Amino acid sequence: MTTKLLAQAVGLATIFACTTVAPAWAQSITIAIGSEPSTLDPQLRDDGGERQVNDNIYETLMARTPTGELVPGLAAAVPTQVDATTWQFKLREGVKFHNGEPFNADAVVASVTRVIDPANNSEQMAYYGTIKGAEKVDDLTVNLVTNGPDPILPSRLYWMKMIAPGYSKDGDLAGAPVGTGPYKFESWNRGTDLTLVANSDYWRGEPEIDGVTYRFVTEPGTRLSGLLSGEFDVITNLLPEFTESVPKFAAVRSLETSVFVLGTDNEVTKDPKVRQALNLAIDRQSMVESLFMGYASVAKGSHINPAAVGFNEKLEPYPYDIEKAKALIKEAGAEGKPLVVVGESGRWLKDREQIEAVAGYWAETGLQVTTDIQEFSQYLESLMGDGPRPDSIFIANSNELLDADREMSFIYHKDGAAASNSDAEMAAMIEAARTETDAAKRKSIYDQIQQKGHELSYTVPLFNLQDIYGLSERMEWQPRVDAKMIVSEMKVAE
Amino acid sequence: MATSSTHVPSAAAASGLRGAIAELWQDKAAAVGLVIILLLILMAVFAPLIAPYDPAAQAITARLKPPVWMARGTWDHLLGTDNLGRDVLSRIIWGARATLTIGAVTCLLAATLGTLVGLWAGFAGGRTDTLLMRIVDIQVSFPGIFLILLVVAMLGPGIWTLVAVLSMTNWMVYARLIRGIVSSTRQTPYVEAAELIGCKPGRVIFRHILPNLVSPLLTLAILEFTNIVLAEAAVSFLGFGVQPPATSWGLDVASGRDYLFIAWWLVTFPGLTIVATVLSINLFANWLRVTADPEERERRFARAEAAKRRRRTRGANA
Amino acid sequence: MLQFILRRLFQGVLVVFGVSATVFVVTRLAGDPVSLMLPLSATEAQRIAFAQQIGLDQPIAAQFMRFLGDIVTLDFGNSLWQRRPAIDVVFERLPNTMLLIAAGLGSAVILSIPLGAIAALRPGGLVDRLTMSIGLLGLAMPQFWIGLIAILIFAVQLKWLPTSGMGTVAHIVLPALTLSLTPLARFTMMVRAAMIDELNKQYVKTARAKGLGLPRILRVHTLRNILVPFLSISGWELISTLSGYTVVVETVFAWPGLGLTAVQAIQRGDLFLMQAIVFVIAILIVIIGIVLDILSKAVDPRIELN
Repeated sequence: MTTKLLAQAVGLATIFACTTVAPAWAQSITIAIGSEPSTLDPQLRDDGGERQVNDNIYETLMARTPTGELVPGLAAAVPTQVDATTWQFKLREGVKFHNGEPFNADAVVASVTRVIDPANNSEQMAYYGTIKGAEKVDDLTVNLVTNGPDPILPSRLYWMKMIAPGYSKDGDLAGAPVGTGPYKFESWNRGTDLTLVANSDYWRGEPEIDGVTYRFVTEPGTRLSGLLSGEFDVITNLLPEFTESVPKFAAVRSLETSVFVLGTDNEVTKDPKVRQALNLAIDRQSMVESLFMGYASVAKGSHINPAAVGFNEKLEPYPYDIEKAKALIKEAGAEGKPLVVVGESGRWLKDREQIEAVAGYWAETGLQVTTDIQEFSQYLESLMGDGPRPDSIFIANSNELLDADREMSFIYHKDGAAASNSDAEMAAMIEAARTETDAAKRKSIYDQIQQKGHELSYTVPLFNLQDIYGLSERMEWQPRVDAKMIVSEMKVAE
Repeated sequence: MATSSTHVPSAAAASGLRGAIAELWQDKAAAVGLVIILLLILMAVFAPLIAPYDPAAQAITARLKPPVWMARGTWDHLLGTDNLGRDVLSRIIWGARATLTIGAVTCLLAATLGTLVGLWAGFAGGRTDTLLMRIVDIQVSFPGIFLILLVVAMLGPGIWTLVAVLSMTNWMVYARLIRGIVSSTRQTPYVEAAELIGCKPGRVIFRHILPNLVSPLLTLAILEFTNIVLAEAAVSFLGFGVQPPATSWGLDVASGRDYLFIAWWLVTFPGLTIVATVLSINLFANWLRVTADPEERERRFARAEAAKRRRRTRGANA
Repeated sequence: MLQFILRRLFQGVLVVFGVSATVFVVTRLAGDPVSLMLPLSATEAQRIAFAQQIGLDQPIAAQFMRFLGDIVTLDFGNSLWQRRPAIDVVFERLPNTMLLIAAGLGSAVILSIPLGAIAALRPGGLVDRLTMSIGLLGLAMPQFWIGLIAILIFAVQLKWLPTSGMGTVAHIVLPALTLSLTPLARFTMMVRAAMIDELNKQYVKTARAKGLGLPRILRVHTLRNILVPFLSISGWELISTLSGYTVVVETVFAWPGLGLTAVQAIQRGDLFLMQAIVFVIAILIVIIGIVLDILSKAVDPRIELN
């Protein structure tokens, strides 16, 4: 809670900071990220390393505040809906790409057309599947057309980077990007580092930090040693244990929620009493303290991200009541029955630790629990394949669109890739909400779905995780909930 | 394991077990090496009895406990616990099992294959010999770890994939050694005589050639064993060898390195165990090599005598 | 000499063919490249299209011929991860690996000769015993472990050197020294043993009796005589460094060479990039072998091939 307040406060402060004049002295910083961009083309891959760099070079029509609120970016205002499938965007005036091309309706049309072009086979189509095309109305007005009603189109556009129409034809998008953002591409020594410099013509004003060098360091331990030795100013994915060893750190609630999906048609877990018992048997608070050193919070009764549109804030976390859990198991006649816990290791923060700890709690209820930590491709097959659903399977689910639809379609909808239920009624509700353009009605459907999922314990939500960044002594930065590393929001102390 | 434990006495049997022990005692480093090797083998065999904990058992509340002599250390965990609250000592003890098993099985497979190829080449001679040795040359030029990584990527990581690949990339040295000895032994008068009077090749191999092979083969296998231990550790460290929840020293170093700055013991102890293992084997193998070689033995004896004389004269002068 | 080189080249071609056959068996027959390279969510149509694209629908013999053809033309397909020709990635990273190996093996060679020579002057003496102990330790220490310890001491505690990456001269010191450890131990022991043998030979004794200074004897006679075994052992170390140790050291120090790239390629299921790396390394090993043989023959013409 305090971090959230802090995040908001610092978020406001950064917005003010942007409007004040940058100090005369100049500084460059070094950021260590976990993986090198595979390309700098902003429209082809779904690649964390590429995003971390390009988020500073490119901009999108819609943006988010550090706390996750959707606000206009390159759009002059929130879009208006012309009809069920058409959204109209007014664009900001006077914005220029780094190569001098103007940002206008043509740029938007070119960007949308390119990313949805099947020939480009973009991995980002997971976000843009509903978009049919873009039409220029006038120089600063564009209509976006969707295949069906799509209430979350503005959230989707928060991911779509706007490229320069001329440069996208004859320039080197993959190696030397040109955007409208606060930083310009300078150089990329493949395998080693990548440098950006401040864009002095940036439409919001020149950013405070003069230049940024990205270093690609896969190992968390190596990133940490670089921070401790003073080579890096910002490192990603700091382990909670190290918050005391680093000069400074910053934590923020992330997009990820860890959860177990229960197989509602499996022999033992088909009984709602058993599923409820599984939810009651876990002492989540003590796991937060011992495993995450406090840098996580107990999920509030569902696996929907609390920052997402459609999150049901009325639900309460499942309490820890091992006695009741034991009683429920006894009542269900499930004592001594086998329960298989499926998971993976090394993909998400403390995944294995969470899985093993939860399996330990579940064993106390009287069930015969076995843990099956699978190799990642095998795990993916268990999670999303066509085979039989596991009794329970772990996942740290990320909600990039910050909209409840994402987690519901994935885990609650019976045909969702990671769903383990066969509840047709719930699936119908999710589909209805997906195309419901009335915000209040949509929210009420989502509230009902979460209520139902909570009561029937379709999932065992665990924690809303946090992203922790290690910072050097001179850095001042409050990270964002969307995990973007926006350098123009960072400051260097004197 | 089997190679090193069962064959050690038989290699020394030439001069009698007691004599061998006395001789070994002269070389303190080798003696210490042998003791450590025997301890490791005992550790591996009796891991379930010795290890205080299940190596995979986690205790979330007892995470990252330092060794007993540190401020926060406890007698419950002599060498501390790791990031999952697993007992470091127990993991090292169980890790010996993984490492020694992989090393022994790999050496056995590689040595068997290498010996067969070497015998075949040495006996057949001519074209077959050239062809087989050419294959050996090709295999020697294989890009070692890269090839292992490629195979692991295709077949998935695991102990048996690792054993198979390591055997396939390590049999050549044995083939070369055996072939060399066989072709030189065949030219010795007594083998030539045996062949002349019509001994069957099988009998020649078993009666006259194999006995000559035992000790060089053993020495080579023991030396190769250290290479396998290091290779296994490296591949496991990279994440392509032994997979959790199984244990291996290399794997433990890998998982401990993220905690290097707050829990030095996670990387240090498994690493030191690898060093101790390889060092002991090298020391012992070195002694064994000299002992098995009459010429070297003579020199060693001469050096020891000279040293004794020096000491005596110095003692007399003093 | 020319015949020697030709014969050696032919042998090299055989080696590359052997590697090709092995890689082909491993990647096409034992494993399934389609499910390795395509995401799990790929549709059946995508799978079939991809299988056709890499020629999996053809008979085995035809596949193998195509595979060999690709190798001859150095066309390994596009890297899945970087979306550009895999061979470009390899040639971009190869110089980094070469630089690291040159620095590592170079320092091992330079340090080992004086160390081994000094130790050999008084076998059993203090310097000798110290050198031998350090050598034995050097052979026993896994590079990934000593590299981590070195980072902890020299980069984090003392802050003398950077922890990882490439850039300045300072960046190369720790990875190069880590890489040099094992070869240094081997070289030193080899130099020492060879020197002891040489020093016991009659000509050295005669020369010393004649009153020639030891340094001169060493320079003029002894060192030249140990050059050939030294060449062959350093060639062997070069090959094992290239084909193995670099992977570990580059991973520990985030050194952007072929080894680190190979690990990353595997983590991303990038089979084509991995194949390109394996072949380029194999070809390099062959070339190094040939160059070494020629060098040895140039130094000592008595050497016969096989």
